[in-house]
Amino acid sequence: MTAAPAPTATATLPSPGRSRRRGRRPGRAGVSAVTRRQQARLGVLLVAPAVVLMLVFLVFPVLNSVYYVFVDFDGLDTTPPWVGLGNLTELAQDRQMWAAAWHNLIWIVLGTVGPLVIGLGLALLLWGVRRGSTFYRVVFFLPYVLPQVAVGVVWGWIYAPTRGWLNRGLEAVGLDGLTRGWLGDPGTALYAVLGTAIWTATGFVFVIILSALRNVDNEQVEAAMLDGAGYLQRLRHVVLPQILPVFLMVTALTLIGGFAVFDIVFVMTGGGPANATEVLGTYAYSNAFELSRISYGTTLALVVTALAVPVAVWLDRLQRRVSIEERGA
Amino acid sequence: MRISPKVLLGSAVCLLVTACTGQSASDDGGGGGENTLVYLIEQLEDAESLSRLEDHLADFTESSGIEVEVQQLDVDTMRTVLQTRLRSEEGPDVISFGSGPAFAGALAEAGLLYDLTDAYEENGWEVYDFAKERVTYGGRVYGIPGEMETVGLFYNADVFADLGIDPPRTLDDLRAVCRTLTEAGVVPMAFGDQDAWPGSHLLSMALSSAVGADGMEALFAGERSWDSPEVVDALTFWQEANANGWLGESPVSVDYDTMTAQYLSGEAAMIPTGSWFINDLAVGADFESGYVPFPAPGGEGVFAAGLGSGPMIAANTDDPEGAVALLDFFASEEHGQWSVENLQTIPPRPIDTEGLDVDPLLAQVLEDVSALSEGGGQLGYNIDVLMPEAFNEAMFDGVQAVLTGQSTPAEVAAAMQAASQQ
Repeated sequence: MTAAPAPTATATLPSPGRSRRRGRRPGRAGVSAVTRRQQARLGVLLVAPAVVLMLVFLVFPVLNSVYYVFVDFDGLDTTPPWVGLGNLTELAQDRQMWAAAWHNLIWIVLGTVGPLVIGLGLALLLWGVRRGSTFYRVVFFLPYVLPQVAVGVVWGWIYAPTRGWLNRGLEAVGLDGLTRGWLGDPGTALYAVLGTAIWTATGFVFVIILSALRNVDNEQVEAAMLDGAGYLQRLRHVVLPQILPVFLMVTALTLIGGFAVFDIVFVMTGGGPANATEVLGTYAYSNAFELSRISYGTTLALVVTALAVPVAVWLDRLQRRVSIEERGA
Repeated sequence: MRISPKVLLGSAVCLLVTACTGQSASDDGGGGGENTLVYLIEQLEDAESLSRLEDHLADFTESSGIEVEVQQLDVDTMRTVLQTRLRSEEGPDVISFGSGPAFAGALAEAGLLYDLTDAYEENGWEVYDFAKERVTYGGRVYGIPGEMETVGLFYNADVFADLGIDPPRTLDDLRAVCRTLTEAGVVPMAFGDQDAWPGSHLLSMALSSAVGADGMEALFAGERSWDSPEVVDALTFWQEANANGWLGESPVSVDYDTMTAQYLSGEAAMIPTGSWFINDLAVGADFESGYVPFPAPGGEGVFAAGLGSGPMIAANTDDPEGAVALLDFFASEEHGQWSVENLQTIPPRPIDTEGLDVDPLLAQVLEDVSALSEGGGQLGYNIDVLMPEAFNEAMFDGVQAVLTGQSTPAEVAAAMQAASQQ
């Protein structure tokens, strides 16, 4: 026998659909339908400027870019010829593009792991430091807020073959054999630029992770210590899980930077010597603005976006899930 | 206070209108007023140069009643936005831009430049024929050629005198000079190719001297291949020079400014670059310099020559007559004399330098160019101003690749030949 369901309060409440159908009647709060309509209109009006700006500056350019993929636009011809999938086919067969993509991959791996490891290490070192903490944060964060052009120029001087501080330093400690033209040697140029980028990004990672560490539950850490957990065990099982959402957020931002890298490479080497530091960003720029191949450059830029977006979405979802799990725990 | 929806609606519309409205033309400098020409130029080196130019243009305003508003853009930005600006209603009336097919040629082909063929005849503008050819596309003339540039070898005359060596006339002379300088502890040639474009000057000067003007013209016309032995040999010389340390340490890591600083400081005894460097020498060198063509394999070489940026008129200018009047001013001998004295540049027309305050080195170059242009000899060609960007990119990357050992001269020559056929 099945018991008849007992009448509940929710069963008697109107569903949202019903509520909308009854919109013309005065509501329980005494708000007239006319007022609600005015409120809705007002809402639309208030949102409209943002929507218009999004349409003009985001949606339209993206759609326009997609159009450029299928034509051969040189920046001059107002009626560019339709080439269908020609740009994509060329891209797939372009050895220089694959070389640039490989450089991006190196950049993504080292340019993400480097700042995360160094930034985390620095943050852990300075976690318990109270005296001079602001000073350390400012010093380490400063490279991140400096203009990339200035950073590139200054590091270009540091790497200079004869007068650069790096080679002078190596000579001073008797390592003359290691001196070289760091940015002119195809074997070292990419890593030299990458080193500069890691130096810049580390401060950002450090400051964010240090802030996250300040929110770690010290009682748990002390309890683990009392239970006999060593430093690495406490780090792995107590500290890192608590800062994981922030760590993932920082990872996502650094990783996406690896896809979109352009300015520091452009300033320091321009993609040279002979394409040894070419990344997809500089290759797209070179095609679009130096060779006037706007369509091919746009195709490259869209490919970078298409590669970066799924990774960003995945990391964002992962971060949310970890955050929810942590709150649930 | 209760704000009515109408007031909010009005505010929102005002905000939207404000957000969507750009700065006024006067704010961003775009577009000139009535009887004002907008003259768009590549960024000048310093504020003093701009001040001198504006003072000079004041003379034009005084004689013509036409104001000239000078706007500047750095070279890269200019190349990126110029086409858009020339199409816009707020675009410049007159521009100063590079001649050659990749620069003014592309604009002319797109119908963005004003045809000056008739204006040449009506105003009797006098320029060297070869310079006029560089602004002629499809049989129509689209600009006044800009300053001329020659590319060759500057040498520190004091160091050469101290070491008892003469300026090199042949490639073997140059090798001997480099060896003597190296033994004396002096870097033979200051060179930096981090910016990539200086590499094209190495090839231009070595190749011009090796094959002469006719040979260069055959290359440009496609009658001679870019992977011919002379091109490979020219690249091979620079490979040899780099391998022997004659270009200093890791030249591909050195930028143009550092390269010139190496010469001006006396660290290096020679510098392969162009006549625009005379201005730097006048300001920054405390020693005497000489300037010779790059040596040829079997004898004396020739200067490689090219044209810098020159004035052209936008096709959609509101005031073509005023713009032509401004170009008439730029084509005058007086303007040529002014540019020699104030900008240390070589006008693309014969001028009388008597009584002018001219650097002796520039005076020598002016005489040489004048004699050469009037049939007294040959001039080679600066390649990158005459070839399309795809070729230039292959050449820029190629010279870097030769200097860093990434490619052989033969491979680079083959890549240039392939690029020339695109």
